Amino acid sequence: MTTLVAVQDVAKDFPLQGGGNYLALKGIDLEIRKGEFISLIGHSGCGKSTLLNMIAGLDLPTGGTVLLDGETVKRPGPDKMVVFQNYSLLPWLTVRENIALAVDEVMPDLSAAERNAVVEEHIAMVGLAHAADKPPLQLSGGMRQRVAIARALAIKPKLLLLDEPFGALDALTRGNLQEKLMQICNEHELTAVMVTHDVDEAVLLSDRIVMLTNGPGSKIGGILEVDIPRPRQRLEVVHHPSYYSLRSEIIYFLNRQKRVKQWQAKPHKVLARHGLEKVNLDLGFIPLAACAPLAVAEAKGFFAKHGLDEVHLVRETSWRGITDGLLDRTLDAGLMPSGMPTWMTAGGHGGDPTPIVTALTLSRNGNGITLASRLAEQGVSSVADYRDYLLRTNRESHTLGIVHPASMHNLLLRYWLASNAIDPDRDVHLQTIPPAQMLADLKDGSIDGYCIGEPWNYRAEREGHGFPIVGDIEIWDGHPGKVLGVREDWALAYPNTHIALTKALLEACRYCADPAHWDELSALLSDRRYLGMKQELIRFGVPDGDRDNPHGTAHTLFFGPGVNRPSRSEHLWILTQLARWSEIPFPRNYVEILERVCSVGVYSTAARELGLDDVSYQRGGIELFDGVPFNADDPISYLNTLSIHQDFSVAEIPVGVPRILAT
Amino acid sequence: MTTAPSSGFNLAQWWKRSRKTILPPLFGIGGFLLFWQLSASLGLTKLSGPLSLWTEERTRDLLLYPFFDRGGLDKGLFWHTLSSLSRVALGYTLAAVVGIGVGIAVGLNQALNRAFDPLFQFLRMVAPLAWVPIALVMFQQNQPAAIFVIFITSIWPILINTAEGVRQIPQDYRNVALVLQMSKKRFFTKILIPSALPYIFTGLRISIGLAWLAIIAAEIVMPGTPGIGFFIWDANQNGYVSDIVLGVIWIGAIGLILDRLMAWLQTRIATGR
Repeated sequence: MTTLVAVQDVAKDFPLQGGGNYLALKGIDLEIRKGEFISLIGHSGCGKSTLLNMIAGLDLPTGGTVLLDGETVKRPGPDKMVVFQNYSLLPWLTVRENIALAVDEVMPDLSAAERNAVVEEHIAMVGLAHAADKPPLQLSGGMRQRVAIARALAIKPKLLLLDEPFGALDALTRGNLQEKLMQICNEHELTAVMVTHDVDEAVLLSDRIVMLTNGPGSKIGGILEVDIPRPRQRLEVVHHPSYYSLRSEIIYFLNRQKRVKQWQAKPHKVLARHGLEKVNLDLGFIPLAACAPLAVAEAKGFFAKHGLDEVHLVRETSWRGITDGLLDRTLDAGLMPSGMPTWMTAGGHGGDPTPIVTALTLSRNGNGITLASRLAEQGVSSVADYRDYLLRTNRESHTLGIVHPASMHNLLLRYWLASNAIDPDRDVHLQTIPPAQMLADLKDGSIDGYCIGEPWNYRAEREGHGFPIVGDIEIWDGHPGKVLGVREDWALAYPNTHIALTKALLEACRYCADPAHWDELSALLSDRRYLGMKQELIRFGVPDGDRDNPHGTAHTLFFGPGVNRPSRSEHLWILTQLARWSEIPFPRNYVEILERVCSVGVYSTAARELGLDDVSYQRGGIELFDGVPFNADDPISYLNTLSIHQDFSVAEIPVGVPRILAT
Repeated sequence: MTTAPSSGFNLAQWWKRSRKTILPPLFGIGGFLLFWQLSASLGLTKLSGPLSLWTEERTRDLLLYPFFDRGGLDKGLFWHTLSSLSRVALGYTLAAVVGIGVGIAVGLNQALNRAFDPLFQFLRMVAPLAWVPIALVMFQQNQPAAIFVIFITSIWPILINTAEGVRQIPQDYRNVALVLQMSKKRFFTKILIPSALPYIFTGLRISIGLAWLAIIAAEIVMPGTPGIGFFIWDANQNGYVSDIVLGVIWIGAIGLILDRLMAWLQTRIATGR
């Protein structure tokens, strides 16, 4: 498809009244293909309307150019017609006259009869024949906007620009008009750009959604492709598997923008006290049972005990929030899945490789794989049954949910599938879905199952939507679950704070590990600040010795011999699995990466200062349920022995030399 | 109880509905006239009371026979009014044409507006009477001078309102013109004038009152031409106080009618905003 509009490195600044300039937009690059429907979304004041006006030619960029069909846009014109938010109809003209005004102006070469025909055709197109002779003030908002759309379409623009076209309408009218617009766009293969702040509207109407960051100097923060096939029905798109992930992606983006703005609005001083370089910390977590050590350290005063007076726990809705928070330094440290430190260090998040350090493994186990109850009704009760079921129904698409590509859930689920001769990329489709969404997806049948930590397996079972097919201790008993992660430059800048944080959390882990405290923990985590759900749904496991029901129960380990010490061989295993599924290339410099990711020294110091003599303990070799040994001395040969894998590559990861955060 | 005839019943109904709107003004006007008549009869003021319009024979004739014409300046009030109105018509039309034209120019052009707005605001404050000597010096004749006074008095509201109306054209309407690449002429007729029309009419309505005020002032100080202003001046010279009262009432009534007329035109033409 050919490019219709090219926005090239566009910037816009406005002179301020008191002198100086306000930079609204900066470095905007966007190509719009013919026939595409693009939405611009962002918070108010992010410059999305300004961008639209520049494409329309109503405003000129102060840097860069906008090309329409290869020609620079210098002035507005009927080839790029705008539908304004407040309709912009002339109140002294009737509906027909309003449309005729545009047609007469733009198509002077047609005869009067032909122009009339165009006007009548478009009045009929938006279904307003009965109101053609009324002035706009006698019409409802929805009808007025239909007139505005008819006027815009009547002059056959190359490009239709819509500035929050349905913003002022009630929900019902908005829905009808959205469908009408979609239908017209499909029939006439229109190219359109729409500014909106309505997430659902953007997903419903768009081929691509352009998300703008907050100003000043707004940029394109991301572009989402909407892969929902057309023609779309407003009530049906919500059942498409992509719908909610797109929706949550946008909402995540908008929330992230808001949080960054709030964070920037606060003063951020580094408070040094008690011989620690920084005592005010923002710690990110997501609401899972495994966040217990953080909640306990806060509630039981372990942070304060080790001198960290001002620790704020920041609840994120997805692991991505932790990644982004560390990247833009709005978080000091975060609870993260054990694969994330190596994944981010190797650049798996898509940006520059960002060295992440982990000095503490916060939990092990506690995960499981749940399949939908409707599969049990089809006779699926083991992995062999599931494989048969997949073969039987191979025409249907089978989606399994994971929370994050770098989480142990993804790696364990893939390992388990692959070892049971199910290719996780060909036989099924793995999709990243926020935990809270998984249960709903399981319920309405859009996914087959998921691999996740508590409480989501137990909840699915209890509420009758799913059943546990396998527990993590049957795949890899004692696998690392969640770890503490910080940026390497942060760890180097605040070494004593890092040790204090490790000590506080290690003590919290010890507290969490005592089964006598589990009721208290459940009560604590059920608070709205953490998980915000019923206490009885939050479980950590059964007391030692009772392992009768290995795949039904969580067996979370928080503390014990070899539990908390970061292990290089485990992280190496994670690196091989991430490479196996092409999340990252396998790093040729893996020894250096492991050396920098696993901060055994900080852990040892913290443990020794707490009087916990754990230093000499080593976990045994890594061997999962299939009995294939993991050879830590030759990871590349190990990778090559695995039968199911993606085409992995081996590459040097440019992690640079360790640098201290400039403060 | 006997049933009342339907017409009488309706009258009672009507009275019940409208007495709140009819009684207060009746009481107000009646009370004022009574107070006036009493103060005149008791000799509190030399001004003759409202009854004198009828009791003075000369004044009663003027009241009852407005259409007589004995030649020269000895005419019925209708003829005086007509010549005053014709002067107003001339001066006011001139003011409207110039006021709307200049108003549009000033409204469209920031620089022009900055250049002339202080001048307009200043001239606007000059009382109609103060223009009379200047007008006489400029034109050396009563008739054109009187028209000029009307013109210069009534132009400001038209001009200023028109300029404001043009400035207030919503950006939305301007954007429509921009996007459609309308020609200047089409923008003028299709968007500018219809959009500014309500403002222009507000100006015209304020001005018609001012024009009528100005003509009386002009005629009183420029005697020798027929007109309602001259009529009052003449009565004053002759000490016919009741004639003056009649003239004043006549002026008020005409002014009221002119204003209503403009209001009616306004609702007829400038609807829809």
